[in-house]
Amino acid sequence: MDKEAGRILKAAVVAIAAAALILITLILPAEFDFDPLGTGQALGILGLSGSAPKTVSQQDTNYQEDAIQFILQPYESVEYKYRLKKDSSLIFSWKASGAVTFELHGEPDGGPEGFAESFSIGKRDYGNGTFTAPFSGIHGWFWENRGTDAVTIDLTTAGFYSAALKFRDGFVDEKSLDNSTQAN
Amino acid sequence: MIAAYRCGLYLSKHPRAWMVAGMLLALPVICSAHNISADNARFVEGIDGPAIAPFMYLGAKHMVTGYDHLLFLLGVIFFLYRARDILLFVTLFTLGHSITLMTGVLLEVNVNAYLIDAIIGMSVVYKAFENIDGFRQVFAIQFNAKVAVFIFGLFHGLGLATKLQEFALSSEGLVTNIVSFNIGVELGQAIALAFILLVLLQWRQRESFQNHAFVTNTFLMTAGFVLTGYQLAGYMWV
Repeated sequence: MDKEAGRILKAAVVAIAAAALILITLILPAEFDFDPLGTGQALGILGLSGSAPKTVSQQDTNYQEDAIQFILQPYESVEYKYRLKKDSSLIFSWKASGAVTFELHGEPDGGPEGFAESFSIGKRDYGNGTFTAPFSGIHGWFWENRGTDAVTIDLTTAGFYSAALKFRDGFVDEKSLDNSTQAN
Repeated sequence: MIAAYRCGLYLSKHPRAWMVAGMLLALPVICSAHNISADNARFVEGIDGPAIAPFMYLGAKHMVTGYDHLLFLLGVIFFLYRARDILLFVTLFTLGHSITLMTGVLLEVNVNAYLIDAIIGMSVVYKAFENIDGFRQVFAIQFNAKVAVFIFGLFHGLGLATKLQEFALSSEGLVTNIVSFNIGVELGQAIALAFILLVLLQWRQRESFQNHAFVTNTFLMTAGFVLTGYQLAGYMWV
């Protein structure tokens, strides 16, 4: 093998080695949670992108089910929220007999008085989905009927919350939930 | 493509234009830093019927922000000095990827996006290895560079098709939308080429170009291997 070929082969080997090093120490830990050398942990980039989707996430709170109905007269509103720890989730479905204004939001524990983070806002007559709490606190819906007819809203949820709170007409009604007391 | 070449030539003679060019180049990077692809998908899936501008935009965006395509193009034109050669090779690449983009989506060809992207990564490795004369010197073989760029163009087109297929496309106005996406891809490619040429033409005037060409292509090869490994990991684990 002549000198030039040797130089090229060396370049190819260097390229493969450098690529393997970059992949193993940086990209695989950051993108795929695969960290054979512990470099991802050491650099704090392990699981950075979270691109390996978590199909299963274990929850340490008891499983709950809840169903509730509200009747809103024109220009009445109600808030209904669940106490969820960070990363706890629930699955929800609500249907209304007419379009209502809604806002799905959360209030972090220990946050400033009246502070809420909005996650979803709109005007519809239904909502289906899953919700995973980005922080510990109370999370749920504000509904308002801005129409001219009374609207009935039916909400069904299941998930890993510890309490449900209803805010209506200036009153707060907290309902503690555990498996022994089935929700209405 | 001649326009892109001229643009690069112009900019190389007018250093001040660099600043503007740099800002323009940074724009898509800044835009894509905040991941908007999920919003794009929602927008596209809401479309029912022909929508020329949105699909053209998406095609251009995919090309301008698609570093795998850009690295391959960089490899292809690295040692092409004449405008005619650049035009010829880029046309072959365009022809290749347009064929598979159109047929891939229309015939609903189902290929794994990760595997295709891994092959695209290997196309970068191939081109860089060819640029340092690896095939001739080490293996004593020589591929026809024009045929190779066309064949890899076919794979790049399949990659583009998988990206477009990720959107739940409506069959209403499908052909118009694919053609629009394809035209957008070519526009994005022309824009990206203009900037690549701009840098290359500047660099070629300096002595460092000859000295560093080998190392640069070794880096390019490294990038190709990284892309390939990244996509294969995605294929295995995602």
